[in-house]
Amino acid sequence: MTTVAATPAKVTRPNIVAVGTIVWLSSELMFFAALFAMYFTTRAVQGPKVWLESTGMLNVKFAAINTTVLVLSSVTCQFGVFAAERFQARRSGPLWKFSKWGLREWFALTFLMGAFFIGGQVYEYANLVHEGLSLSSRAYGSVFYITTGFHGLHVTGGLIAFLMVMLRVFKAQKFGHSQATTAIVVSYYWHFVDIVWIALFSAIYLIK
Amino acid sequence: MKAGWRLFAGLSIFYAIVAVIYWLVGGEAVGITAVTLSSALAALIAFYFWFSTKRSGGILPEDNMAGEIADSAGELGFYSPHSWWPLPVALSACAAGLGLLIGWWLTLIAIGALLISIIGFVLEYEKPSALPTH
Repeated sequence: MTTVAATPAKVTRPNIVAVGTIVWLSSELMFFAALFAMYFTTRAVQGPKVWLESTGMLNVKFAAINTTVLVLSSVTCQFGVFAAERFQARRSGPLWKFSKWGLREWFALTFLMGAFFIGGQVYEYANLVHEGLSLSSRAYGSVFYITTGFHGLHVTGGLIAFLMVMLRVFKAQKFGHSQATTAIVVSYYWHFVDIVWIALFSAIYLIK
Repeated sequence: MKAGWRLFAGLSIFYAIVAVIYWLVGGEAVGITAVTLSSALAALIAFYFWFSTKRSGGILPEDNMAGEIADSAGELGFYSPHSWWPLPVALSACAAGLGLLIGWWLTLIAIGALLISIIGFVLEYEKPSALPTH
């Protein structure tokens, strides 16, 4: 142990759970890459004229509001992570003072915003099916529902993950490093899903 | 980890350049999307490496040329010594997939079972007890 003096001072090793999450998210990125490739190929094969007939059915304004809520939920999620890094599970003041909020309040708010997004998406699907665009009606319907649907499933999975974090924090005897790690990796996932949606939104609703 | 983030950042730039070239020579949509997102993939890992290098505040023992095995000793994280929970998680996920072939009723039951087993998995070490848990 003669080299101890030569080694630099305390080094914080990257958390193994976080490293595993990043590796998994990288594979998720390539999963969505396949979906994007499917979307653009179908678009290239069918031509912009056929595409315009279907994209005209989209309600861009409604989707933009929905997107804003999802993007803001990433912000509230990050405030939850800041609370987790302070090891603060619950609020230390009244409910309206959000500067005193803990992990539980921020994640509950994030959950509600995510649920709003999913509710909006279900409403949008219902309208589109009503107008005659279904999964099997035409190629545009297939790629639209498969890409946004898989994203919606990911958001739903994230909502379940938020519930798990809150359940775990509730059951834990004290809020320690392992609870904070769970909250942090769930936030990584949530930010990832959010960024994927921004890309999907720009491809499907803006570029068309 | 300095080499790590530089390596992946370089890969990311490389893929980005290749994507532009491929577009200019008239490549098809799948290739452009795949190469562009490969660039994003490398950028994600590069960003994470850069971020954790900045946070670690020094050189990790495995990057230290004069490092010893003993230098990296210490707590690595919490590892479950033994657990039955992955089995019900895997079985119900399997049943959920199988249900797509057999019938939706099985998928619905399996999703319920999956949620219960995930809750069991997550909360296994959060049981209140007099003994120190970790």
